[in-house]
Amino acid sequence: MYAVLLLPNFRLQAALRFREEWQARPVAITDEASAKARVLEVNELAAREGVAPGQASPQAMARCAALQLVAQSAAQEAATQAVLLEMGGTLSPEIESTGPGYVTANLHGARTREWMKMGTGVVDALASLRLTARVGIGANPDLAFLAARQARPVLVVQTPTAFLANLAIHELEPPPDLLAVLREWGLHNLGQLTALPRGELMDRLGPEAARLWERAAGRTERPLRLVRPSEAFAESCEFEHEVETIEPLLFLLRRFLEHLTTRLGHVYRVAGQMTLTLKLANDGEYARTFTVPSPTAQVEVLFRIVHTHLESLRLEHCAVAMSLRLEATLPERQQFQLFESPLRDPNRFGETLGRLAALVGAENVGVAQVLDTHQPDRFRLEKPRFHELGRTAPLGEDLAVGLPLRRYRPALSATVQTVRGRPTFLFSEAANGPVRAALGPYRASGAWWDNEVWAVEEWDVELENGGLYRLACVAQAWRVEGCYGEVEEAETIPQGRIVMMPGIRKAGEE
Amino acid sequence: MSALALESSRVQEQTAAGADRKAQFEKQAVLGGLRQLLAEKYPQAEQRPGGVFRTGWPALDAREGGLRRAAVTELSGGSGEGALFLHEMLRAVCREQCFAALVDAARTFDPTTCAMPALARLLVVFCADAGQAVKSADLLLRDGNLSLVLLDLQAAPLKQLGRIPASTWHRLQRLVEQTTSALVVLTPQPMVESARVRLAMRGRWTLSAQRRWRNELVAEMGVQVIPRQREGLRVVEEEEELSA
Repeated sequence: MYAVLLLPNFRLQAALRFREEWQARPVAITDEASAKARVLEVNELAAREGVAPGQASPQAMARCAALQLVAQSAAQEAATQAVLLEMGGTLSPEIESTGPGYVTANLHGARTREWMKMGTGVVDALASLRLTARVGIGANPDLAFLAARQARPVLVVQTPTAFLANLAIHELEPPPDLLAVLREWGLHNLGQLTALPRGELMDRLGPEAARLWERAAGRTERPLRLVRPSEAFAESCEFEHEVETIEPLLFLLRRFLEHLTTRLGHVYRVAGQMTLTLKLANDGEYARTFTVPSPTAQVEVLFRIVHTHLESLRLEHCAVAMSLRLEATLPERQQFQLFESPLRDPNRFGETLGRLAALVGAENVGVAQVLDTHQPDRFRLEKPRFHELGRTAPLGEDLAVGLPLRRYRPALSATVQTVRGRPTFLFSEAANGPVRAALGPYRASGAWWDNEVWAVEEWDVELENGGLYRLACVAQAWRVEGCYGEVEEAETIPQGRIVMMPGIRKAGEE
Repeated sequence: MSALALESSRVQEQTAAGADRKAQFEKQAVLGGLRQLLAEKYPQAEQRPGGVFRTGWPALDAREGGLRRAAVTELSGGSGEGALFLHEMLRAVCREQCFAALVDAARTFDPTTCAMPALARLLVVFCADAGQAVKSADLLLRDGNLSLVLLDLQAAPLKQLGRIPASTWHRLQRLVEQTTSALVVLTPQPMVESARVRLAMRGRWTLSAQRRWRNELVAEMGVQVIPRQREGLRVVEEEEELSA
């Protein structure tokens, strides 16, 4: 058995999927490539007003002033055809993309014989994606196609002879001249045609008539041109007008996600990555890829990830089109360990990271990764991957020495008096006063082999007032790198006040 | 049915309803008594609905069991003591195999002196000022994924801290109550009105500390734990208890 999935008014359905507001208005799809923008398809409201396919746009507008003309969209038609193929792929691995809005599936390997239930399930699934479908099931592809055209919405042909007998000949779309001859002979349905002997018909009307007779008898067999359903889960929409605000984008995004996640659900997949592309009015493009920390098919979770980004997005030009593509992946299976505390909701955490990045800047949020160098204060913040982090080895005994440093970023410039190279008096924005004790120098240098050569001399000092600081001397310039402990009543120098530095002390007084 | 019979059935219903109410009162009284008994016997358990986060700091764990989850803890003291506390909390995070966040209002955290396994479990947020730090902590508490959120305001200018409205601390308390996270706010002086516990740390360090093991310095540091209780809308401090 074969099944044909048919989307009547394919171009119209593809164009109106995300435009609910036009459903209640007369709409015509036009071919912008033709000279007068000929009408390709019309909806029922437009047909009632006398608008018909083949008319030029001005003619159509003359018939119906309220007619909404919509340009044919190749991208949206391709996306809709991909949806149809995916749906066919859920019935059988042998599918054919027979034509626009028309997919044939070979059901010979199907386990079920409840064809009506299967067809109804497909129609319902496509309805959840806002597509009106018809399903025909028959013994061969052509019979299934004819059944799909007659289906309301599902038709299973159990007895082909009886089904075909009452069908009009033009349903088989014969060549016009052949159809005219058959009508002159008084033949109107397939039953009348197949009552004639096949050989004599071919003698009089040629091989085309013989092929038509074979199809009318339901005896044609043809191999399917097999295709694989595309694994690209993408939706796109071109706006009628330039979009300046976030709300229309969010509305459409939610629709996209509802459709895409439903499609993912049909193939038992979840979204691992999302790519949002905005076409801009200046012919530019803005694209952003979002990695979903814990792959999911939940609309709310995916929507929040994109929403958080769009909230802080500022573009110089308006958007004229938008597309969203999801990368399908297998659902993650995670077994929580008894003594581990993994993230409860990695996606929510990813969203929080996005919000934090928007607040303080992406370069200021992350997990510190200390660089492989002896140069002081060299580290970078990387994107945390807590949900991927397993159980880490417990820390051994604390072998750290001394007090941890609180760094001043940037380091504060300082004036330091020295005696035989040792600091004796500090004057800086952070603290000032005589140095009671000093540990150092701790010298380090590196990268002498390239242009980023560095060398530093560090001192830990204790001031008379009890404050503990780290000083550094780089290229003869002193600075305060940080503090180990400040005193509450530290003497601070008001701005503009002149302080006399003490003279150089005698040797041995440091 | 006669009026007498109706009256009789009404009286019977009232009697049954009264017996039910009496049984409920008795049940409530027994439950109340049990709760009181438990509260008297295990006062610490009664005060900590969210549990505790064990710090490994003997002075703190012995008194409180650790940092209270679903509550705000304020640590006030010098910046040196605060830095020492942060490093100890990093070790605790690694020991507990959980995740933490450090919101640094003055960008003073130095990761180069920390152990790598601990850093891998710490989300660092460097902020431009105290206001931004409070907003970041707000976002992290709403997230609820992290066991410990450290809000370090110790190195922030007092002028900035003075601009934080008191209602902010109550908002953070409301947020943390809905999670199992522990929020620790490090401040130069007591200022968090909604804090359930206040820690005051005092250490008099000299330069010789730079030649000693850090765990010795931790053991020597004085920790004053001041649990606070709610009385209506007010938060009052319990009798101070000094532990070191």
